[in-house]
Amino acid sequence: MTGSRAAAVWGRVATHAAEHGRGVSVADVCAVAVSSAQLGGAWLVAARGADPDFVMCVTDLVSEQLAELQLTTGEGPCHDVLASAAPVLAADLEDAESIRRWPGFTPAARKLGAGAVFAFPLTVGAIRAGVLGLYRDSPGPLPGGQLGDLLILADAATVMLLSSAYGNGETDGQAWVDGQARDLALHRAEIDQATGMLTVQLGVPAAEAFARLRAYAYSQDRRLADVAGDIVARRLRLPRDQHPRGGP
Amino acid sequence: MDTDLLSDTFIDLADTMVADFDVIEFLHLLTDRSVRLLAASAAGVVLADPRGELRVAAASSEEAGLVELFQLQNDQGPCLDCFRTGRPISAADLTGPDQRWPRFAQAATQAGFRTVEALPMRLRDQVIGALNLFRAELGPFETADLRIAQALADVATIGLLHERNVRRSETVAEQLQAALNSRVMIEQAKGKLAERYGIDMDRAFRMLREYARNTNQHLTDVARDFVTGGSAEFPPSAR
Repeated sequence: MTGSRAAAVWGRVATHAAEHGRGVSVADVCAVAVSSAQLGGAWLVAARGADPDFVMCVTDLVSEQLAELQLTTGEGPCHDVLASAAPVLAADLEDAESIRRWPGFTPAARKLGAGAVFAFPLTVGAIRAGVLGLYRDSPGPLPGGQLGDLLILADAATVMLLSSAYGNGETDGQAWVDGQARDLALHRAEIDQATGMLTVQLGVPAAEAFARLRAYAYSQDRRLADVAGDIVARRLRLPRDQHPRGGP
Repeated sequence: MDTDLLSDTFIDLADTMVADFDVIEFLHLLTDRSVRLLAASAAGVVLADPRGELRVAAASSEEAGLVELFQLQNDQGPCLDCFRTGRPISAADLTGPDQRWPRFAQAATQAGFRTVEALPMRLRDQVIGALNLFRAELGPFETADLRIAQALADVATIGLLHERNVRRSETVAEQLQAALNSRVMIEQAKGKLAERYGIDMDRAFRMLREYARNTNQHLTDVARDFVTGGSAEFPPSAR
């Protein structure tokens, strides 16, 4: 049931990119997140290794200000997400908990016009790529269906960030949807185990191991879960010298 | 029923929950004890991801066949039905003809299981997952055992959500995602260990778990530090 849902959500991202005559990017993810969950805006903060976090895309002025507010005050939902690797869903910035938790951020965010802020980690286990932030002018929870779609969109943004960081950002929208959306959405344990194995085989950090796994599957036109299964079963080893840009 | 083990189990679970504890380790304790207490061959806790799938958070064995049985249930099976209805679902004989879930029944019997029981993990009207019991022998679980199994499923829910009175539905979603991401970290760490030492995933998991216990650390923290650390040596050398 999941594969089709993820494919539908990723399909909306690909369609959005195509309508704007470009390859898929995190800007399309932000735009689709805003429209599908009827939100005011979205922003995406990338965290790359030891570099300071930087705001990679914003959909509007309020989002830009909310993103910067959290970087300058050093507190807020996005800030907490990086520490916990779990979503922080502040559905009502007027409630006592929000004010207690983020005494600097909360009143300033309300002044900017935000009634609710939702922050999603862009993570795969121990791999951290950044945070997706969203706001709505009115308070209120995210309905369950919207929460699921936003989690899938956060997965898509994570993969895009990791791919571009390691130089194999295939941006053809349909290839995304056909190729790996389904496999990634199924969250097969083998994909995570294979990522861990590749850190040793290739002698690279986990984020790069994950990117190399995906790049290999893409270059061989094979399903990610199948390649991961072969690595875990020790039927396949990836060569150390293979550069992620390489392959047919 | 081993009543000493039952009381020990509730004491251990309560002890864990009053301290700062690791959710995945807690759920593993729960599945291990479910197997021993309830004459089950295997047990697992499956969580409902809002993305629309069921994901394994803990299993009494890390053996791939068991995990696949849970993954298969994203299409059909007692676990999926339990999640959808919020009610316990039994399959007392997976071997006969006219199975309700033919693909699941075939896979389960191939893995050596003839009976399965799925018990809902509920928070008020929301089903957040299920405790699953598998058994190699034919025939249903006893009623008294199932009541204990449901109590264990309820304890799992409380432990997972960290607090008994979760007033915000947002908190449930946040805690579920944290647990699922912890599980991914543990899988990544298992892979790194398995490759470094040429061992299987089950053995790798036991190494992580033993080291976390012996050093009084969270299993998730041990896994994260190992995956993000530059060295593949385990245990990490003393600093």
